[in-house]
Amino acid sequence: MFRKALLALPVALALGATANAQKAPEDVLQGLIDSIDSSYLTQSEMNLMMMPDSPALWLIDDGKDLFHEARGPNNVSLETCDFGKGPGVLEGAFVEFPRFFEDTGRVMDFESRLVHCMKTIQGFTDDDPAIRTKHGNAADITKLQTYVASLSNGHAWNPPMDHPMEQAMRDAGEVIFYRRAGTMDFSCSTCHAATGKRIRASVLPNSNVPEEWTKAVSWPAFRVGHDNVRSAQHRVGECYWQMRHAEPVWGGTGMTAIISYWNDRARGQPAILPDMKR
Amino acid sequence: MFKKTPVAAGLAAFASIIIAGGCAVADAGKTGNVDYTAMTSQELAEYLIFEANGFNVDQEVQEGGTAKQRLVQDEMHKACSVIGGGKPDQATLDAVRTAAAASITYPEGGIQLGDWQKGRELAWSGFGYRIGHNPDDHGNRPVGGNCYNCHQLATDRTGGTVGPSLTGYGKTRGTSEAILKYAYDMIYNPHAYFPCTNMPRFGSSGFLTQDAIADIMAYMFDPESPVNE
Repeated sequence: MFRKALLALPVALALGATANAQKAPEDVLQGLIDSIDSSYLTQSEMNLMMMPDSPALWLIDDGKDLFHEARGPNNVSLETCDFGKGPGVLEGAFVEFPRFFEDTGRVMDFESRLVHCMKTIQGFTDDDPAIRTKHGNAADITKLQTYVASLSNGHAWNPPMDHPMEQAMRDAGEVIFYRRAGTMDFSCSTCHAATGKRIRASVLPNSNVPEEWTKAVSWPAFRVGHDNVRSAQHRVGECYWQMRHAEPVWGGTGMTAIISYWNDRARGQPAILPDMKR
Repeated sequence: MFKKTPVAAGLAAFASIIIAGGCAVADAGKTGNVDYTAMTSQELAEYLIFEANGFNVDQEVQEGGTAKQRLVQDEMHKACSVIGGGKPDQATLDAVRTAAAASITYPEGGIQLGDWQKGRELAWSGFGYRIGHNPDDHGNRPVGGNCYNCHQLATDRTGGTVGPSLTGYGKTRGTSEAILKYAYDMIYNPHAYFPCTNMPRFGSSGFLTQDAIADIMAYMFDPESPVNE
């Protein structure tokens, strides 16, 4: 109790001073731990200890270099890419995804938007390794995503719902979240609608508790068990694999709808970027 | 038994009318002339699942056919999917319970206990019917019961807490015909007792064979089983 109170003090001060965005990911997580009694948030003491040395932190630097470097057939950087807050504005952009883009006429998750910019600005195609390679620390997409995401660390999730398409995708995602199907009759809510339940040794996050859910949706994260940084799409894909449902298409409409609902459920709580997970 | 009725069928017809009137949907996420905002959230969800390249529905699956059938809801799925959580009304629950009870079939010669040692491994195994990027090859390993994912059984291995603890199951309940039938029913189709439960219908769905159910039940009931230590 006493320790918690001591830790909470500087957090509260930092929040008051709007220094939230400058905190390290582990400080954001600690702030959440201090705010709520959650066995999900505290389940891995080892990860909490390892976070200051997370391998994901290296990817931020790599991603920063890649982002600002002139690359691709058009030999230009990604500095003119519009992630929704204007060309080149990266601060706080990641927590405002998925969002509707006029230039494509659709709601896009962050990864889809990044690929869109790599294609339209830099001239990469689907066959180029820069876009084709989607998995692992060595993938450009992983590095770029980790860099841009890190510029939203500590920012509150705030996916826009101003455009009717954004609301429509979020609402469809909610239906999908609760929609039972498949060989095992599961839906996302089978595992993510109660507090403190475990699958084997792993404590499950509850989508109804935003302070817990923000960690659940805080990807990219260094996935200790995979020894690689993974994205939100990996997490969704792995859940669908376990559920025995059909696999969501990478960058597809189902994935976007699910992530729209996910991020909305974490609304108002600070993102941990990059996070570390089991 | 529940009939598999593609809820998307009507919607597909609805969507194709719109598409016929204009250009086709170009690719994933491209809305073309299909107005997402004109659909209810239920309609849009079905459209994204079955029509808009949202899911890899053409993948072949272990039971034969394609992954599409993994996303087609049967009557139980529809009845028990409550947006925002919770349970449906009592009349719906009763209908689910009645249909579940009617779905249960018993092995010839009655319910038997198999080999608890085989059952121990089956209860631990989370293998079977997974698809996507890493499909389970049923030729390599038997399909597991996935029991420990949600239940604690013997305490030498860590089980989940999504379902109740089953530690000491046979020891505390005995092996009367009634309790064996109850356990068998619970594995086969637990909606017969707990309509809209989270637990899979391991018999009705064909997920587990009769032999596997008998082995897992032996693990639960055999006095020699570590579950009953």
